[in-house]
Amino acid sequence: MNSNLSDPAFWSRLQFGFTLSYHYLFPQLTMGLAWFLVYWKWRALRTGDEKYNQAARFWAKIFGLNFAVGVVSGIPMEFQFGTNWAGFSRHAGGVIGQTLAMEGMFAFFLESAFVGALIWGERRLGPRYHFMAAAAVAVGSWTSGYFIIVTNAFMQHPVGYQVEANGSLGLTSLNAYLLNPWAWIQFAHNQMAAVVTGSFVVAALGAFYALRGLYPTQARLYLRAGTFTGLIASILVAFPTGDQQAKMVGRHQPVTLAAMEGRFVGGAKAGVAIIGQPNVAARRLDNPIEVPGGLSFLAYGHFGSFVHGLEDYPQDIWPDNIELLYYSFHLMITLGTLFILLMAYANILHWRGRLEKSTLLLWVLMLAFPFPYLANTLGWMTAELGRQPWLLYNLFYTRDGYSKVVSNGNTIFTLIGFVGLYFVLGLLFLFLVGREVSHGPETEEPLASPLAEPSV
Amino acid sequence: MITAWYCIVSFMLIVYVATDGRNFGAGMLHWVVARKPEERRQVVAAIGPLWSWHEVWLVGFGGTLVAIFPRLMAAAFAGYYLALMLILWCLILRGVSLEVGGHINNPLWQQFWDFVFVVSSCLLAILFGAAAGNLGRGVPLDAQGNFSMAFFTDFKTRGYVGLLDWYTVSVAIFAAIMLAAHGATYLALRTEGPVHERSATYAKYLWGAVAPLFLLISAESWVVRPDLFRSGLYDPLCWLGLFVAIVSAITLISGLSTRRETRAFIGSNGILVGVLATGAAAMFPVMLYSTLAPENSLTANAAAASQSALRYAAVWWPVAFVLASTYFVFISRRYSGKVSLKRDTQGFY
Repeated sequence: MNSNLSDPAFWSRLQFGFTLSYHYLFPQLTMGLAWFLVYWKWRALRTGDEKYNQAARFWAKIFGLNFAVGVVSGIPMEFQFGTNWAGFSRHAGGVIGQTLAMEGMFAFFLESAFVGALIWGERRLGPRYHFMAAAAVAVGSWTSGYFIIVTNAFMQHPVGYQVEANGSLGLTSLNAYLLNPWAWIQFAHNQMAAVVTGSFVVAALGAFYALRGLYPTQARLYLRAGTFTGLIASILVAFPTGDQQAKMVGRHQPVTLAAMEGRFVGGAKAGVAIIGQPNVAARRLDNPIEVPGGLSFLAYGHFGSFVHGLEDYPQDIWPDNIELLYYSFHLMITLGTLFILLMAYANILHWRGRLEKSTLLLWVLMLAFPFPYLANTLGWMTAELGRQPWLLYNLFYTRDGYSKVVSNGNTIFTLIGFVGLYFVLGLLFLFLVGREVSHGPETEEPLASPLAEPSV
Repeated sequence: MITAWYCIVSFMLIVYVATDGRNFGAGMLHWVVARKPEERRQVVAAIGPLWSWHEVWLVGFGGTLVAIFPRLMAAAFAGYYLALMLILWCLILRGVSLEVGGHINNPLWQQFWDFVFVVSSCLLAILFGAAAGNLGRGVPLDAQGNFSMAFFTDFKTRGYVGLLDWYTVSVAIFAAIMLAAHGATYLALRTEGPVHERSATYAKYLWGAVAPLFLLISAESWVVRPDLFRSGLYDPLCWLGLFVAIVSAITLISGLSTRRETRAFIGSNGILVGVLATGAAAMFPVMLYSTLAPENSLTANAAAASQSALRYAAVWWPVAFVLASTYFVFISRRYSGKVSLKRDTQGFY
């Protein structure tokens, strides 16, 4: 991509980036929340304590709203491989199509068969089967995540393929493709980040109810589950998964690592920038504050290791928007660090029995929930901007992947359509979730006969 | 191998049309078969919990198309760009209207989402119908295997055609009527009371209209693509599809006239499957016919991915299909019988 706004690749990228970033706001909560539901249903089975059932019932409704928006905003993603990225599909469809199809066949059938049972089926299914429905949905959502990560991992680090006689890519080993080492690390990192989102949302609602003085039992449950899981997951996102992810980028995409760090000149004892603004024209980082040797250590395990700079590589394989890549990465890291500190502090207060009395911390927890969404999005922006100018790393350029027959007029029209539609969808979603939150968790019986007993 | 995959891909699309088609049909008839608010909830409850399961067939079809016939996917999806985007938007609106329409027990809220539901269902039936017409008629594929199509050009069926011409428009109308009939048959099976009565009546009238229209569309297709009929004549699969459709029609008629709704619904599904399968068999091996020059047409062989991709997919696809069928058993047990608003409505929460 250059800055030329008449470049069709730019508009297709913008549309895909927008629809995908928007879509992923929903599955990340679904994947994070799913295991909370499983846990609560399991506790309810074991202890018979109704508060766990209440929690599961309440969050299942929020889950359901999320799931619905996730489904409707997800279908365009698959279609856009054909509509906007025909060149890419033609070139690599035989490989990446495998996992796109497997996602539908293995994961979505499972999820969509049981999600209705999870939300509406408590009475009909009984506690044991209802627990199993929750588990099936959780497994389905994580399986779907894995197939998508495998698809992306192939774009980051192609394995198990060969170039066929007609120039397109064929699969030589399904195992190698599915077990791409990049995919394992990326999946672990991404799923932990999804759990962070889920934990922060659960904790935020607990904090909200605690501050309002409503539903004390439920509030305590959410705060405890959210902050405990939140701490574990926030740590796991950074270490070992994030650390390994960065090392892998250093191994397979060194030019990307240099760009993420805004490092133009290579050398030993490379510092890691805490603050600084990349100045690509002057090829330097303005106003840097660095930890000496930090990058060498993080990427290669020794403070003295040599780290390449961008100038060690030809400029035509530099990521095409170094500034945005740099900020995405650095903001993600900053947020991730703050998440660990916040959740650690919350757990210390809980351990000393003062969590629910600390008004300030409850306020912070209540308002913190949007930031994991931001961090997740920034993480994906780092991955995808860092991959440029390649669509398939070192194999296939992004500029060769878009649909040549689709005019800018069409892409811009549909981009506007998606923006408008998704804006309305977002308002609707927030309104309905807000309504659930104001109804609260304790008033509800299992959902089943709403018309006979109007509850509104 | 490629023939088998052509069958599988067609099968997935046909299952999608048969399952989600009844939802489009129910959506089109929503206002006429259900007049009071509780009656409308009944219609929504009859399709509500399953629409996303049905849409997975479309997702599975799309994914399999990328994996097995990437060049078809690339050419067709980019070529049909605006039409597909319209379909996507309608699918979004349809799904949302079903999900959130029942959330709030407020007449204005429900009227609004019922409206969205009806309009998006009508558009979807027409757009999918037009897409089917386009597959039959062909698209202006150039020698490189690309095309890009306007919504309409001169309404003729040769050369640089548009999405809509006299043929595809008539197929779209036919498809909408047929899916409405299918939806009415389904609603008659799953509902009670006045909705049931009206649906059963509409099913009779609509299927009655389908029969002559089917002959008309067949005659039109003869004019537009005589080669399809010439090749279909010697294809046993076409005859099999036609046989299925005829047997299903008899089943449907006997089901409708004796008020055996399960039988009628089986017949209704069978007709859709039979007609679509006949079409798919007649088209093979061409997947995308060129209106510019027949030699530009994209065949299954030319559209397919490498042998290895087909082989690997042949390993996992049957496993996934068996799993999906198990879930289907669960679903059909759980959602069988008449919907009862006491038990099954989407509910307000």
